[in-house]
Amino acid sequence: MRDYFPFFKRRQDITYLDSAATSQTLYTVADDMRDFMLSNKSNAHRSGNSMGTWVDQQYHLSKELIGKWLNINHPEKRIVYNSGTTQGLNDAIQLIMSAMSGGVVFIGIDSHHSLILPWTQSGNAKWRVVFIDLDKDGRLDLDDLQSKIKLEPMAVSKVIAVNAVSNVLGLVNDLDRIKKIALEVAAVSIIDASQIISKRKLEVSGFDFVAWSWHKVYGPMGLGCLLIDPVWLNFDPVRPGGGSVTRVSTDSVTWTDNATKFESGTQNLSAICALPKLVEWLIEHQNDIEEHDISLAKVINDQISLAQFTPTTRTDSGLLCLEPVIGSVEDYTMMLDAKNIMIRSGKLCAEPLINQISNGALLRLSWGCYTTKQEIELALDNLGDIHARLSRHVQRAV
Amino acid sequence: MLDFQDMFSELFELDDAMDKYEWIIDYGTGTVGLEKQYHTDQTLVKGCTSPLWLAKEESGRIAAWGESSIVNGIASMICDWYNQASQRQQQDFSLNTLTDIGLAPLLSMGRQNGVANLIAKIKTL
Repeated sequence: MRDYFPFFKRRQDITYLDSAATSQTLYTVADDMRDFMLSNKSNAHRSGNSMGTWVDQQYHLSKELIGKWLNINHPEKRIVYNSGTTQGLNDAIQLIMSAMSGGVVFIGIDSHHSLILPWTQSGNAKWRVVFIDLDKDGRLDLDDLQSKIKLEPMAVSKVIAVNAVSNVLGLVNDLDRIKKIALEVAAVSIIDASQIISKRKLEVSGFDFVAWSWHKVYGPMGLGCLLIDPVWLNFDPVRPGGGSVTRVSTDSVTWTDNATKFESGTQNLSAICALPKLVEWLIEHQNDIEEHDISLAKVINDQISLAQFTPTTRTDSGLLCLEPVIGSVEDYTMMLDAKNIMIRSGKLCAEPLINQISNGALLRLSWGCYTTKQEIELALDNLGDIHARLSRHVQRAV
Repeated sequence: MLDFQDMFSELFELDDAMDKYEWIIDYGTGTVGLEKQYHTDQTLVKGCTSPLWLAKEESGRIAAWGESSIVNGIASMICDWYNQASQRQQQDFSLNTLTDIGLAPLLSMGRQNGVANLIAKIKTL
């Protein structure tokens, strides 16, 4: 799988273990974006010229292929392009807020800030936030969700906003049960799929909104998708503009009847035109990608030295966070960097969770379909070496 | 009144980055850090990923203490050098000084900002 990614030929010195932040790029994506910029740059939608028509074709083909990949009927009514997960989640939440006057939102405590902050900004006081706790294994405690949601009167509008896999815990939450709970109480459901979409086959049907970024799926920066349930096409767009309408007069407007309603303005077409080959590649390699992810999770679960680090939990997918027994996460990150091993550390844009499960910062190792077992082992060996070095210099608090 | 590089010449003779880190950590460990009574919100250096405190103690000594062993070591080096430096040397000192002698590149950009804030704060004490 590694040969599909030019980065690893160009940067053989690097051990890249930060794929949860962004993945490396499939060769077709780099080639297609370059071709677009140098040979095919034109704008989509009603161009009237052959170059623009070609871009239109790529745009529609990309949605058809995403539909095939995720088993979505009528993708033109379900797939909204945007700049990434953050915009997708913000748009979804703004749409909900425009449709409902207020209510309660149940948010997973393991969520990324981008799923929390839109609800807690000033002016959003009509929405009360209730966090869903974790169970003993670290997954969202859906008994806790169910008991909390039952406390709310039927007449109160409800939203369930969770991630499929936390960017801190690497555990796959039970989306089937979340879907059932949402249906039982007629709650709107929002799924942040950022961490799962590049690793596992995702069943997206039955959710109101599912968001992800393509840069985490071996694709381009600055492009995301928001899947919407078609029922949301009945509402006005939160960011109206060119492309979202079929007719405008001085006193009326007719919105488009498909997902372009929520795609005002010129989209990131160089990125969109790179999607067809990427998605075909994802369809072809889906099973291998999933098997590889599971096998690396097993390697890291089996090999982490519990005497040196406290893992937040065991991992299911994509990443593992660790808390050092000795030393600061900064020390480990800087010293690994000196060995050209790229990891991430800190609060990981998930402070409510980080503050609950750690002393305020964690080390995160994360992988993609191109990561080798040897790279994971190299990082673990070096973490052990750094632990030993720091142990010799146990710092005294004055 | 030694230049920064002369004062820590032993460090600059090392080639391997890991050895440099270990030397810096060792320096911090061997230095008496800022007394705990001075660890307050007012003495906290902004912009650091992990907490770092800097203050002038009653004795007149400027000292620091950081949770990260590497940042603690570098902060200790800066304080120790600053305490013996001439007024002119103190005025001229900046993050560029550490960049020029190859110390700053050992820190990521985020940590360099923290050290820049440390240097700015030390000049106000």
